[in-house]
Amino acid sequence: MNIGRIWNSLANPRRIPRLFALILGLILLIGFFIPISLNDHQLYPRPTPQSQINDQNPLAPYDRGGSPFEETGIVRAQYPQNSIELGQITAYLTPIAIGVKDSTYYFGTSILSSPGGLIDEILYYTRGFDTILESSILMMAFVIASWVALHFTMKRDEEGDEKP
Amino acid sequence: MDLATIGGQLLGTIPLGDIVLYLTPFNLFMFGGTLAFTTLIAISRTETQVEAEFGTLKDKEVKVNLEEFKIRRFLAIVCGLATAGAMITGDLFNFTLFVTLIGIVNIGIVSAVRQVDVLNAAFQYGLIAMMASLPLFGGAAVLLASTGTLSLLEIVKLPYVTSMMTFGSLLLLMGIIGETGVAPFYATKAEMFRTPGSPFILIIHLSSLLVIVRAIEVLLIINKPF
Amino acid sequence: MIVPVQVPELVVSLYPVAIWVGIITGLIGLLGISFQKNDLSVLILTDIVGVAMLIFVAGVATDLAEALILPGLVVELAEIMAISEILLSREIRKNNISGEDLVPTALPLNMEILKTAPTFIAVVLIAYGVFLSGFTGGVIAGGGILFYILSKSARGLPVELFEGLAGASGIAWVFWIVGFLLFFVGPPFWLLGLMLAAFGILIKVASKVGLIGILTREEFKKE
Repeated sequence: MNIGRIWNSLANPRRIPRLFALILGLILLIGFFIPISLNDHQLYPRPTPQSQINDQNPLAPYDRGGSPFEETGIVRAQYPQNSIELGQITAYLTPIAIGVKDSTYYFGTSILSSPGGLIDEILYYTRGFDTILESSILMMAFVIASWVALHFTMKRDEEGDEKP
Repeated sequence: MDLATIGGQLLGTIPLGDIVLYLTPFNLFMFGGTLAFTTLIAISRTETQVEAEFGTLKDKEVKVNLEEFKIRRFLAIVCGLATAGAMITGDLFNFTLFVTLIGIVNIGIVSAVRQVDVLNAAFQYGLIAMMASLPLFGGAAVLLASTGTLSLLEIVKLPYVTSMMTFGSLLLLMGIIGETGVAPFYATKAEMFRTPGSPFILIIHLSSLLVIVRAIEVLLIINKPF
Repeated sequence: MIVPVQVPELVVSLYPVAIWVGIITGLIGLLGISFQKNDLSVLILTDIVGVAMLIFVAGVATDLAEALILPGLVVELAEIMAISEILLSREIRKNNISGEDLVPTALPLNMEILKTAPTFIAVVLIAYGVFLSGFTGGVIAGGGILFYILSKSARGLPVELFEGLAGASGIAWVFWIVGFLLFFVGPPFWLLGLMLAAFGILIKVASKVGLIGILTREEFKKE
């Protein structure tokens, strides 16, 4: 097979995702042959799995110490000097959340996501820019999907449609 | 290695918590260039394509109507801003998110067309963009696991390069190749250009070009060949 | 010691296993894509590739990784939403079936609950969603809006309502940006910034889910 034939077959858009998938699969295979290990000096480390739950901690597995407005929680951020109020959000609990925390042992693993807590600190404060981009991606996808839906898939046979 | 080896003197940083944007002459130039081009696009109007018809002597004008024009201009401006952001960000995960945003907006710019061929190309490109999220985010995660940080300003100070870091950057490169559509995956993006609305289509081209240049800088920072 | 200095030994020993599982998952999805002929099946298979990406990120197992999973998940959802709509548009254009429906047979939703208690359930869901706040609260409150819209028997696309809800979503997004900037412009006001961000995401997610409800009603509620 000569090279021109190969280039020609690459010009068909239908083949491209399949080719991409194949090449990506080959690159992923490299992962089996190299030494893989986790660097144990990570940012925002978390305690041993299940340890906080075994201690009957209602905030498990997200308890990082601190109390609202008084004491900051322990957060090992990349640049603590850039986040002046680091740890305040981690320690903060809304009055509702305090009420729930006092009545059950499973506050941390329930779907109750009150403002405040460790994940909110990362999502809104130290890595807030990531979350803004993420929501922008969702917004753009939504703009595209709803625009196409409103103008084409819902409103068919419009005057703009040229007949073939 | 130092940041100055590739980009030139570090002019300053924009700290936003853990995500620190940094400015060197190299990425400041690309940042400014993108913003200038985006401004030009925001104030320009679309072209009208003229297609010859078979069987008759008439020409067919392919125009862009006002609603289409508005949504395309909006998406093109977002694409320009995302490209500008990707030029100066100093955080790996932030960079991958910017690239993903560029990818989805690129699909959006051509999604409003009526030609089946272009829609097909946009769909196939979308499939690649979805698959590319594995190497993009996966590569960033592998780099995070092997270095313990996502900040490029910290990675550049590390004295070692492990094989796992090379594997992570290889994944990252594969993701960027998929999102920007360079050879041998160019066919989908090349087909997407065959639609009216010229200045907005051009931003697709420009964003891929600048992202690949910036990605090379990022890969050099991670792998430190010199 | 509430937070360890180093990552626990257990997590470090599990990491290579997590990566291998991720690679195998990715290979299953990618090989499926490279052999599959049907475009719709390929679109569904890309979700498996997305799952592999989540395994890669989750393997790091720090609080940071948990925060990074959310963008990954949302990006996957967002892209599949936009691309499936393009696939629909392409198929309609290709077959040129003007006036024909996407769902060929009618899917009547003849549930009694849709007629007797829609408002009550919607109000309960929205109130509970506001109580929860954040991303999960947004999904539950959005579920309430979706339920209310689905139960309405009105036909036709309410473009004004759609644009109004979309506008509310956009304003909520701006709240979020303001909250984020407030963290850095005025650090003492971190509590206000936190509240703006948390309730911004609530309104944003809830209105998005509600809008999806308006779009889907058009296809499913025709007899």
